[in-house]
This record gives sequence, C-alpha cells and structure tokens, in this order.
Amino acid sequence: MLSLLIWVPVAGAIAVGFAPVPPRLLKLTSLIISGIVLLLTLWLVGQFDASDPAFQLQEYFAWLPSLGLNYDLAIDGLSLPMVVLNSFLTWIAIYSSNEKTERARLLYALMLLVGGGVAGAFLAHNLLLFFLFYEVELIPFYLLISIWGGENRGYAATKFLLYTALSGALIVAAFLGLIWFTDASSFTYESLAGQSLSLSLQLVLLVTLLIGFGIKVPLFPLHTWLPDTYVAASTPVAILLGGVLAKLGTYGLLRFGLGLFPDAWMFLAPGLATWGTISVLYGAIVAIAQKDIKRMVAYSSIGHMGYILLGAASLTALSVVGSVAQMVAHGLILATLFHLVGIVETKVGTRELDVLNGLMNPIRGLPLVSALLVLGGMASAGIPGLVGFIAEFMVFQGSYSIFPWQTLFCVVGSGLTAVYFVILLNRTCFGKLDNAIAYFPKVEWRERVPALMLVISIVFLGIQPTWLVRWSEATTTQMVAAMPDTSQPLALQTFTQEIFAPRISLGMQPEPLPRS
Amino acid sequence: MIQFLAETAWLVPLYPVVGMVLSLPWSPGIIRRTGPRPAGYVNLLTTALGLLHGVLAFPAVWHQEPTYLYFPWLEVAGLNLTIPIELSALTIGATIVITGLNLLAQVYAIGYLEMDWGWARFFAFLALFEAGMCALVLCNSLFFSYILLEILTLGTYLLVGFWLNQSLVVTGARDAFLTKRVGDLFLLMGVLSLYPLAGTWDFSQLGEWAKTAELAPATATLLGLALIAGPMGKCAQFPLHLWLDEAMEGPAPSTILRNSVVVATGAWILIRLEPVLALSPVALTTMIAIGSITAIGGSLISIAQIDIKRSLSYTVSAYMGLIFIAVGTHHIAAALLLVLSHALAQALLTMSAGSIMLNTITQDLTQMGGLWSRRPISGLSFLVGVVGLIGLPPLGGFWALLKLADGLWESRPWLLVVLLIVNGLTAFSMMREFGLIFAGQTTPMTVRSPENIWLITLPMTVLMGLTLHLPLVLQVAGLLPSWASLDKNVALLLLSSSSMGCLAGALVYVVQIVSTPVRLPVPAIQNLFANDVYTPQLYRSTIVFGVASLSRLANWVDRFVIDGVVNLVGFVSLVSGEALRYSTSGQGQFYLFTITFASIAIALITGWTLISQSFPIL
Repeated sequence: MLSLLIWVPVAGAIAVGFAPVPPRLLKLTSLIISGIVLLLTLWLVGQFDASDPAFQLQEYFAWLPSLGLNYDLAIDGLSLPMVVLNSFLTWIAIYSSNEKTERARLLYALMLLVGGGVAGAFLAHNLLLFFLFYEVELIPFYLLISIWGGENRGYAATKFLLYTALSGALIVAAFLGLIWFTDASSFTYESLAGQSLSLSLQLVLLVTLLIGFGIKVPLFPLHTWLPDTYVAASTPVAILLGGVLAKLGTYGLLRFGLGLFPDAWMFLAPGLATWGTISVLYGAIVAIAQKDIKRMVAYSSIGHMGYILLGAASLTALSVVGSVAQMVAHGLILATLFHLVGIVETKVGTRELDVLNGLMNPIRGLPLVSALLVLGGMASAGIPGLVGFIAEFMVFQGSYSIFPWQTLFCVVGSGLTAVYFVILLNRTCFGKLDNAIAYFPKVEWRERVPALMLVISIVFLGIQPTWLVRWSEATTTQMVAAMPDTSQPLALQTFTQEIFAPRISLGMQPEPLPRS
Repeated sequence: MIQFLAETAWLVPLYPVVGMVLSLPWSPGIIRRTGPRPAGYVNLLTTALGLLHGVLAFPAVWHQEPTYLYFPWLEVAGLNLTIPIELSALTIGATIVITGLNLLAQVYAIGYLEMDWGWARFFAFLALFEAGMCALVLCNSLFFSYILLEILTLGTYLLVGFWLNQSLVVTGARDAFLTKRVGDLFLLMGVLSLYPLAGTWDFSQLGEWAKTAELAPATATLLGLALIAGPMGKCAQFPLHLWLDEAMEGPAPSTILRNSVVVATGAWILIRLEPVLALSPVALTTMIAIGSITAIGGSLISIAQIDIKRSLSYTVSAYMGLIFIAVGTHHIAAALLLVLSHALAQALLTMSAGSIMLNTITQDLTQMGGLWSRRPISGLSFLVGVVGLIGLPPLGGFWALLKLADGLWESRPWLLVVLLIVNGLTAFSMMREFGLIFAGQTTPMTVRSPENIWLITLPMTVLMGLTLHLPLVLQVAGLLPSWASLDKNVALLLLSSSSMGCLAGALVYVVQIVSTPVRLPVPAIQNLFANDVYTPQLYRSTIVFGVASLSRLANWVDRFVIDGVVNLVGFVSLVSGEALRYSTSGQGQFYLFTITFASIAIALITGWTLISQSFPIL
C-alpha cells in the first residue's frame, strides 16, 4: 500500500520517459499518474487511524540486513500530512507546468520521480532508507533547476547541489554516528529511538543533524542557496522545492532531531527557539528590501520556517502540532504564491516591483490572479480565516508559556510579514495600470485552476482547522509525552534554564499547558 | 416565533456572508450580461433580512438575562476553542444598529456609485464588514474577537483601496492596514499572554477572573497595555491615528460605515475588556492620557482641515478618545451610550458631506459656500448631525456626554474640563464646516449643485429621523436620567460649552464677522494642525525609516557577507579544482552524465541485492 505511493510515480516516470507517449499526451499522462497517486493518498488517509499515535500500515522487506538497511515503510501522524501535501503539490506542479517546453519528456519523468522519492523519504521507517530517498532527490532537482530554470540557473543549480550534498553528508554522518555509538543492530527507527547516549554525544550528533537539516529547511545563516534556487527555478519546480522539499528538512528535524535525541533536544531547546526566531525576523526583514517579487516570496519562506523550529523547540503538545500544521500551511501558501507569481511573470513579462502596477484592473489587468494573490499574501501574513493564522497561532500559544520572549518576537516577525506583502500587493495589484503596456495575454482557466484549488484549500483549512490537526495530534502529543520529564529537578535542566531561558516571571505562575 | 428568532439570532452575521458569496459571480468577467448591479441588490436583500431578523428577535431578549450558545470550533492538544455567542438586548441591539446603518449605507451607495464598475467588490466588502461587526458584537470571546478584528483589518485595506488606481488611495489603504496591524499584533500578544493567566478568553469568565486575580503589577501593566493597543489602532487614537484621515480617500458610502461603527469595534472590545484592564492602574491612566490627547488634538486638527471628510474624520478620533476616557474611568454605560449617539450622528454627518461632495465635485471646503438655499435637505441633515453629536439637548449626544460628565464631576474634575473643551471645540469645528459649506456666497463649484437623487437623499433623511428620535428611544429604554436626578450644574456646563462652541463657529464662519479664510496670528500653530501635527513626517522619520534602513542593511549583509562567504568558499574550491567547470556547456553535461551514471550504478548494485534476496534462484 505505502509502496504504491513510491513506485507508482517511479513507474510512471519510467513510462513517461521511455514509453512512446506522444508529446502532446505527456502532460496528460503525468497528470493521470499523479492523480492516481493523489487518489491513493486519499484512500490511505481513509485507512489511517488518527487516534493511534504509533506507526501504522508498516511494510517490511529485508534488503541488506548486514548493513541494517531494510525496505521498511510506515506512516504516522507526522508523516501523513506531509505525504498528502506531497501528492497534492506534485499534482499541482505538474498541472501548472508548461507542456510546450523543450525536453518535456524528461521534465515530466523527473517531476514524477521527485514525487515518488519525496514520498519515500516521508514514509521511510529506516534511517538509511530515509537518507537514500533524501539523496535521490538531489539529482532530479539539479536537472530540473539547471535545464528549465530562468536566469542564473547554472549558478543556482550548482549552489543547490553543493549545499544539499553537504546537508546529506552531515545527516548520514549523524546517522552513522548514532548507530556506531549505540550498537544498534539496524537503522530501524524504533531500535534507535530508545537509545540512551550520553548527553555530550547526543549533542554532537544532534548539532550535526541540525546543520544538515538546517540547510534543507533552510535556517539562517544556512539559507543562501534558497533565494537563488527558488528564483532561478521554473514555477512548477519552485512549487515542489518550496512546498514539499523544504518540508523534508523540518520533518527531519522533528522526526530525527526531536525523536532520536530527546535529551540533547531539551538541552538545546532555548537555543533552537532563539534560532527559529532569528530566522523569522531575518527572513522578514530581508524580504522587505527585495525588488523582485519571486525573491521576496523566497525570503518569506525562510521566515515562515522559523515558526516551525520555535514550535518544535517549545515541546508542548500544542506547539508541536502547530509546527506540523505550519508545515502544511506553509506548503500550500508558498505553492500558491509561486504559482501566481509565475503567472504574473509569464503574462506581464517582469517580476520587478518597480515596473509592475495596477494588475487588479478589471479590464486589462489580471483581476482574478490579483485577487488570489491578495488572499495568498494575506494567508502568509497570518490573517485569520486563512490557514496560515491558525498554524502560527498554535505555535505561538503553545510556545508562549515556555519561551515568551521568542514568541513575542515571532509575533513581531509576523507583523513584518504583513509589511512586505503589503508592499508586494500595493505595487503589483494596486495602482494605475499603464495602458500603453497593458496588452497582456489572457490568463487561461487552466492556469487559474491550480491557484483556485490551493486557495480553496487554504480557506477551507483556515475555517475548519480540525481537518488540519486531527491527523497529527495523537502522534505529536505522544512525541512530547515521550520527552524526558521536565519537572524532574535534573541539575542539567535547571542549569540550562538558568543560562538560556530567562523566563520572565509573569507574577502569578502560569498554569502550564497540558503536556499530554 | 419570536423566541425562535431570538434563539437563531446568531444567524445575523451569516446573512451578509451569503450576500458576499452570492455577489462573487458579478466580479469582472464572469456574468457580463446584467452588468454589476445585481450584486448590490443581492446584498441589499441579505442586509435587510439580517436587520429584520434582529428587529423581530429584539423583543424576546429585551429585559432578559443574556443567554449563551456554544459552537465547537477546534479542540487540539488541550486547547479548546469554542465560539461563545451572547444573545442579549445589548448584543442584538448592536446588530440592529450595524445592519440598519449598513442598509442605509448600501442604498446610499447604489446612488453614489451609480457609474462605478466595482459594484460586486464594493458590496461584498460592505457585507464583509457587516458580517464581521455583527459577529464581533455577538461573540463573547476575546480570541474570536481578535480573529474578527484582524479580518476587518484586511477588509479595511481592501475597502479603502477600492479606487485602487489612485495613488493616494493606495498609500491610504497601505497605511490603514499596517497601522491597524500594529495594534492587532499587540492585541495578539495580549491574547497569547492572557490565556495562561486566566485560562479562558470568554469575556464573562474573564470578568469573573479579574475580580479575584492577583497579578504582579508589571504583568498587569504589560498585559493591559498590549490589550489597549488593538483598540487604539481601531479607534484611530494617537499615535495610531493617521490611517483614518488617509482612509477618507475611499468612497463615501464606506466612510459612513467606517466613521460610525467600524471605528467603534475598538471601543466595543475596550468596553468588554474593561474588567481586565482595571487590573492595572497604569493601563487605565494610559488610556485616559491617550484618550485626552487624541480628543483635544483631534478636535483641534479637525478645525484646521480644509477637506470636508478629513475634518469629520478627526472628530471621530476625538470622540473615540472620549470613549477611551470613559472606559478608563469605568463609565461603561456612558461609553456605550456615546458609541450609539456618535454612530448615528457621525453617519448622518458623513452622508450629508458625501451628498455635498458628489454634486459639487470637490472635497475642498474652501471652494464651497452658499449651498443652504440649494441644498436645504443636506443642510438640515448636517445641522441635525451636529446637534446629535455635540452636547446640545435634546438629542442623543447631549445625554451621552451628560452621563459621562456626571460621572467625571465626582471623580476626576480635570477630565470634565477635557470633555468640555473637546465638546466646545467639536461644536466650533462642526459649525465651521457647516458655515463653509452652506453659508456665504456661492462659488464656481457650488453654483450648480442640486439635491441628489432619492437613493442618496432618502437614506440621509431616514437617518436624520432616527437621530432625531434617538432621545425617544432612550426614554423608552429607560436610559435618560429623570429630572430629579439630573445634575443641573453639569448639564449647564455642558450646554454652555456646546453653545459657546457653536456660537463662536457660527459667528466666524456663518455670519462671517471676520474675513475667511481665517489666519491665526501665529501661522506655525495653524500649520501644525493643518498638517495633522506632522504625523506623516513623524512616521517617516521613525518607524518607516527604521524598518527600511534595517531591511536594506540586512539585505546588504545577506548578499555580500553571508552569501559572499559562501561564494568565496565556492570560488576558492573552484580555482583549486580547475577541472570542475560546471558552467561551460560540454563539461557541464559530462558532469551530469557522471552523476546520473554513478547513481544508476549504485541503484543497480543495491537493487540487485534486493532482487537476489527475493528470488534466491538468481
């Protein structure tokens, strides 16, 4: 069952790549294949028992037992939303691609391959298997960026390749270190989850892992590949990169960082929360200065990933489930924004803030695209009623009692988000359209469909957030409950709190949010 | 039947939502045959239904204890978010005011925006506001109130930016959004920090909690200040006041709603939060200080404006300042009464001003004059609005201000002085505006200025009637003081401040005993108020400058320091490994080929073990 999510797209990729599919049917074929995957995913959601926090629907197949590498898949509340997001956004990305591009056959094959590979990484229940799937993305994405990218694609693709290769190396180092020091028999997640390493070893491994995944997320200052890559990538690739691939980083942080190194994670938590906050503020502040709307959206991504780290560091049931929700919310919102920015670029021919103007004009502008852009931007800025708000709010409310200052600064960051989106919307959608240049090609309905679908999901999940959190609540709650007990007067923890988390004493001690 | 309507009064906010969704098909490019007008009519209908529902349900809740309904929304990880709805005479009465004013504004808009192309958008936004405000007054939870306020902030952005191809409109929309957002974010901080302390966001439970809560003074102060900041943005209080002035660039029908009820959303939250705010003396003092500064400053600025709508907008700020004072001194009933009387009178003034603007094709007061003979209905409406706003008996404003003045007389006499000054200055400002529009000689702009079509004049006249009848309504509701309990001294003080203001304004601008335009002996003072106390410059030189410089600096660091280091590392390794030149075409492809080949090889090797295991024969 789970294997189908991986191998159907891979088989589809082979079919699209090598079978004699006529060029005009390539996109349709890929859409059908990824549509099947999407349906399979929905069916999987039906099979999933949301009240069970453990791994479900496990599939096991001994592969290289001597290496500890087994074909071992399972799904839980942390991976399910990611898998759904991946299937959905892959479909959207394929739908929003342009079939008249050169080497379309390779493009569709690669996109399907990427979809299958990312699903594999989210489903892997074995650390080495996860790493293999994680690394397998690298080459297709390198090709996707360097062949179909825009300006500077060679530079961007190389940068992406080097950064991600480094990230992979660090991650595998941490995994290998873990297995060497624990004498575990295999890379199976459970066999490593219960390890009891000394704190200093845990710290070394966790920091390695943090840098590895921090590149992927990305977190300041490991982010410089992101703006170049996202901007150089074509719209569908940017959707996949920002919407799905970056989630591998945050997923890895939660699954392997928080899950495998609980003591070290607790130790570093105040630092991690501060790191997340710095990323939030940094991403937002740099985004304000951008003159290219795609670059602005790319920087917004850095900011929004910071909230996830804050929520994961706070380790309350609410903040962690909020982090998972924020991953989904961010994926949907970023995909919407990239798609719409892509439409603006193709129709108007520029992404420059200083050139764009008045696209809301109902006659000669792009009114619907502008309206959706307003919604997307506002969702990103955290306006309630849209999915971004409730995810951020859960993170904030969950984190406030643990890291009040970091949380408040993140609230400020969400205000700065509003600043650059208002700049973007004011320059792009509002204003007077120059009639002399306003001969834009018509926006076809098929170009609007992906954005409409994304916006509908953003609004729906914003109004009905239960549908966003019910899948992961059991798992994340258990993850938090499995953490070492904070109430124990561990000398180390007291030390940590004194050093890193000067909790502001708010008079009456807050009634702590329930941890289970 | 009435009971049923009362129990289902939570539907009132949903009518406009339906109208909003139904007007979507008339957005550009979907339905072309009918033109955009049906969108307006649909919304008119849904608003009328909402009003009808409220009016019919009202008798059932009158003199009854409030009832509460609960709708579960989200329950996750120990956080239980249930939407509490309070059905009481106060909340349903507030929805009647909101839907009623919106109905009048919509009829007005049909006339006012006759030639406009954005009907679907405009009416959908009006409906958004109506829905948001009705939900806000019905909702009994700070958290959901915050949600609604934020959605209304977005609504303000879109509605102010309705005429989006004018540059002043665009900057006005931007400033309105960002200013309100600043307030909202502080409110969010307050919301976040209140929950761990109180364990609830329900206003009624917060009130209970506040009675026994013992907070450290610093906590209470920070919490109180954060909670005040949201209403400060909404009510256009100093220093977050400029947006309302800039929002006057938006279409007049939306201004009717904004000046009367939208700004009052902040006051409403403030009133509901009063028990929590009362925990901190510093917060209360801050509220009083901000309210006083805004009230006096706003009425002074109002006198110096030459734009017909901007002059009105500063009296809105001033009156909201009075409400801040009222809440800061625990005069809740007076604050609510002031919200009501101000809403009706201000809506009437704005309608009258809009009806003048439409036919004189200018908003500049200096280009107007001599309209009394040509525009008697608008003129009468304006006068009734003035009397309803300031403390002149027998209309609503007098009773509201009197109630506040009465309370201040006992406790804080110097705030009574502030109140009297503000009242007098407002009276002067309004009479000035009246004089400049209606008195004196006609100007080229006002020579041909007949009354508008009935779509504009009728709602104005109806509202004039409502303003005139407000005292009767208050009488029936038992909100007027009896003659015996009336403090005649305070009433006389209030009356004299109003009449002095009116008299001075009338002498200068209606009878024109001095030549207009009036020049003060010290032009600096006049310029100070005419330029909104240089607030735009203040913003630009502080917060805007700060954020812009910081972002430019961060961008520079990002590009040249962080990315520079990365590129340097890359460059050094490239130079040392001369063979790897990815960018040249032939070798780049070779590189790709190597990667692909190697990965396929690895895949085959690992895959082979897999296959050989599953099929041992191989």
